[in-house]
Amino acid sequence: MAKQEKAIAAQSELEAAVSAGVEAIPRRRKSAWTEAIQDVVLRVAGVLALVFVWWILSLIFPATLVPRPMETFGEVAAIVTTGDFFYEMGATLRRVLVGFGIAMVVAIPLGIVMGTLRSLESFFEPPVILGLTMPGLIWAVLMIMFFGLTETSAYAAVAVTICPMLAISIWQGTKSVDKDLIDMSKAFHASPWSKVMDVIIPQLISHILAAIRYGLGLAWKVVVVVEMFGFSNGVGYQVVRGFNIFSMKAVLAWAITFLVVMIIIEFGFIGWLERVVTAWRPKIEAWRR
Amino acid sequence: MAYVRVENAVKYFPREDGSEMLVLDGVSFEAKEFGITCLLGPSGCGKSTLLNIITGLERLEQGRAEVVSNHRESGKEDPRLGYVFQDPRLLNWKRVEDNLIFALKGMGIPREVWDERVEKYLSLVGLIEFRKQYPLYLSGGMRQRVGLARGLVIEPEVLLMDEPYSKLDHLTARKLREDTLEICARLKQTALLVTHDVEEAAFMGDRIVIFSPRPAHIADIFDNPLPPLERDMDDSRFIQFKKKLLQSVMRLIKTEEV
Repeated sequence: MAKQEKAIAAQSELEAAVSAGVEAIPRRRKSAWTEAIQDVVLRVAGVLALVFVWWILSLIFPATLVPRPMETFGEVAAIVTTGDFFYEMGATLRRVLVGFGIAMVVAIPLGIVMGTLRSLESFFEPPVILGLTMPGLIWAVLMIMFFGLTETSAYAAVAVTICPMLAISIWQGTKSVDKDLIDMSKAFHASPWSKVMDVIIPQLISHILAAIRYGLGLAWKVVVVVEMFGFSNGVGYQVVRGFNIFSMKAVLAWAITFLVVMIIIEFGFIGWLERVVTAWRPKIEAWRR
Repeated sequence: MAYVRVENAVKYFPREDGSEMLVLDGVSFEAKEFGITCLLGPSGCGKSTLLNIITGLERLEQGRAEVVSNHRESGKEDPRLGYVFQDPRLLNWKRVEDNLIFALKGMGIPREVWDERVEKYLSLVGLIEFRKQYPLYLSGGMRQRVGLARGLVIEPEVLLMDEPYSKLDHLTARKLREDTLEICARLKQTALLVTHDVEEAAFMGDRIVIFSPRPAHIADIFDNPLPPLERDMDDSRFIQFKKKLLQSVMRLIKTEEV
């Protein structure tokens, strides 16, 4: 109820702001609070609309095919309260983060080298493009055949799948680095380390952030596939288990917990990281409608 | 303390078709110690190339361009040069003070004096209260001031300025010229200023070296009759000196066209 009231309040404030804008020049800007509330309301409404569609579908189809939303949320609650969630999700998260970390450590220097040195660009371009073209599923199969059903194969599959994508993003970013700033750093005798850390990498920040977003998205997909192949824990394993007992409810419940964690990472962690590393840039929000 | 000596400098640039283009055709001059020497000439005549040669970014085919200093054995170590560019070329992701520290660190100046230096030179350019600000939150003129402070903070033997006012609006440029002149006079800073603006050269230069169009040689060298802090753009002595420079420059352009 409170939420709806807030929505109505936000709406009427918005209208007030718009009509005030017609009369008063310069236009009164909406307060930051009103904007924030409006933003949250729109996001919540988007999620609720999805649940509503799901609910309609569940009325049409039998519960074995489309379980009721509330029952599924009950299952989610059960997963979380029994503590299974933290164990399984922890295993999956660890695989994603380790694989992702390895990929970053390889991709950042590789991308910078490709963007700066012509000869190495020609040398590395074919393997990187080939690596990008290879489906994650095939990497998963190859790594499991090579390393067996070990944690190593999960780390390797994630790292190998996303590394080319990260490298390409950073490579392209490096090519667009401002040459005048490189000359400036030469004029002040900056060390090679300082050139990379103070001049080049900060210019790549937006490319690196975009790469992290796409990279994490890819990593989740690959790690679930690897886990399905016969791991005994992880979200992917739980989904397969749900499939084997044909429990649509279990499959959906695990998928939902997984989504929630991803969203927290996406909006919470990456959003925070973005704010911190781009504090030097005046916000463009003022021009956006 | 330190000055710049250029002797018979010759420089070619490779053209697209493989042939060579003569850029500097035996350029010789001496820059004034403790003062500003303006390199005045039309755009594209090789003035900036000469700055790059002095900083060591490019090499001469013949002749010498060197910074002479009694603090340092010539040829043993690189001279300490400060650079102010046409665009400020700041690291926008670093706070104002960290942009200065970037230069201090690069030039190997001991960490203990960083804070004191940053404070001194940001105060000189009038930006001490903006030391924690990021450059993109400053106006164009203020950014150029940060660029000037960065050039000075390493306490260079020679300060090299490459058309530092050409991207600023008229009034901002005028104020910054006055301030730069005053700061350089107070610090007894040896400086080279590249410009194609005759009035700017007359106002800023203790010595004005006039470059011919490409291939460049030195057409004229004038010493400013007015001391730095007595130059007034409306004063008849200033206008007279400006006319003298202008005549010299116009003669070059006419010869070129005929």
